[in-house]
Amino acid sequence: MKGKAIVLAAILLLCSSVVLADNFGTKKRMPRPEEFGNVIINNYSTKNNIAPVVFKHWIHRAKYTCRVCHVDLGFAMEAGGSDIKEADNRNHLYCGSCHNGKDAFGPTTRDKLVSEVQNCDRCHSYGKDVKGQKDFNEYLKGYPPARFGNRVDWMKAEEKGLIKLKDAVEGISIKRQDIPRPKDFEIKSTILGMPDIIFSHKIHADINGCELCHPEIFGAKKGVTKYNMQDIFAGKYCGACHSKVAFPFYDCQLCHLKEVY
Amino acid sequence: MRQPTVPLARTLIALLLLLLGVAGCANNGSETVRGSEFDDMWSMPALPPPAQYGNVLISRLTRSSTHPPVVFSHWVHRRFFTCRVCHFELNFELKTNKTEITEAKIRKGEYCGACHNTKIAFGINDSTCRICHSGNLAAPDARFSELKDFPKALYGDKINWVKALKRGLIKPQQSILDENYQSIPFSEGLKLDSEWVLAKTRAVFPHQKHIEWLDCADCHPDIFNIQKKGTKHFRMDNINRGLFCGVCHLTVAFPVQDCKRCHPDLR
Repeated sequence: MKGKAIVLAAILLLCSSVVLADNFGTKKRMPRPEEFGNVIINNYSTKNNIAPVVFKHWIHRAKYTCRVCHVDLGFAMEAGGSDIKEADNRNHLYCGSCHNGKDAFGPTTRDKLVSEVQNCDRCHSYGKDVKGQKDFNEYLKGYPPARFGNRVDWMKAEEKGLIKLKDAVEGISIKRQDIPRPKDFEIKSTILGMPDIIFSHKIHADINGCELCHPEIFGAKKGVTKYNMQDIFAGKYCGACHSKVAFPFYDCQLCHLKEVY
Repeated sequence: MRQPTVPLARTLIALLLLLLGVAGCANNGSETVRGSEFDDMWSMPALPPPAQYGNVLISRLTRSSTHPPVVFSHWVHRRFFTCRVCHFELNFELKTNKTEITEAKIRKGEYCGACHNTKIAFGINDSTCRICHSGNLAAPDARFSELKDFPKALYGDKINWVKALKRGLIKPQQSILDENYQSIPFSEGLKLDSEWVLAKTRAVFPHQKHIEWLDCADCHPDIFNIQKKGTKHFRMDNINRGLFCGVCHLTVAFPVQDCKRCHPDLR
């Protein structure tokens, strides 16, 4: 009997493994421009009967550098990785560093007519039809276009002076002396005919500082960290940003730009 | 000491049950379950008349309204734009009715509205509704004669689009967002060995001919992993089910019936 039970278990396991096989050979859905970079944070929300938070990268990156949140405020690079609690925000950590009622809206807003307005819905908006303070299409109208992601060329927008990114949060960021930017360098492609990559330290360091990438994502010495395109597709290395928030890896020629003859 | 017959019987029962289990799994109709590769290798989907090959009936929202569905004809559009323009830059999905098109979005300049705005192509107004909302897959047939001088192919719409492009009969726009768009100069031709031993059925894949129409990321990494050995279940039966090459080569690009264009050694 015991033997049969084991056999049955084996069959069930086999069937389920076949049924659960991953979706292969099909194209995944591309996010819409206003969805790209949106992150759903749900560590405690559902457990506490409140809608999960939808964090919109696009509205925040139009005002701050990546470094501010991901280094100075200590936000993780994965949704839910920071384990943010409401108490943290009320203690001026994480979102609460700015969303304190002074720099940006806090949990409540004082109103002349009504004494207090609850602002919970503005962030805890997943699955709700919450109209944001700023409409994506209205806000980014006239910004230089890009092919993918938010369909906004954020680098050009900054060059043109359409956005001015703050690199510090008052009272939290501590200014250190600037380290000179290392030179741009080439990354040789391992496939014949594939153009080499030119990596610009300047472009990256201006918005990320050094700390966001080194030493965890990339070792400090060139050539030490071995990675390939597969890893990047899987969200590692360059893919840590360039699959979710920075221009997506669909836009091959933005990195693979050194012409091959 | 144990009797040797008991474990043997058990093993036999186990094997039998296992086989039954596998067969049961294969037939339960789930989308990702694949049966024997030989079952479906030759079951190529039937082809419509040439003028209707690549025509798509879009009924995602019209189904629940009184408006007739939209008929979209690929051969009308692919003369003027490469695949990547719609299937990447304009966010059109590769499966019918999966794209979240609404009239409001079109009027805002998204999806069809990127061109159908009276500037590039006819705009939306009361007199033009019926051009697209015809509900009849044969509606664009009358214009098919515009393609009569194009190089011929054996199947599908019976037009060799690769040759038409090469001869300069069509000059499809590469990108509508980037005027200076240039595709990556990656022209490696792949030779994919068949798993068959007795017949020579090696498949060829020219990157060059595909990047004239498509972006790298149209296929990589979702449909094809960039490593040959990393692309699992890449078989003819799955292609016939609309996976891998079948994403395009059953409905729009030349159909799988045209075996020799990929398997030149096949006789």
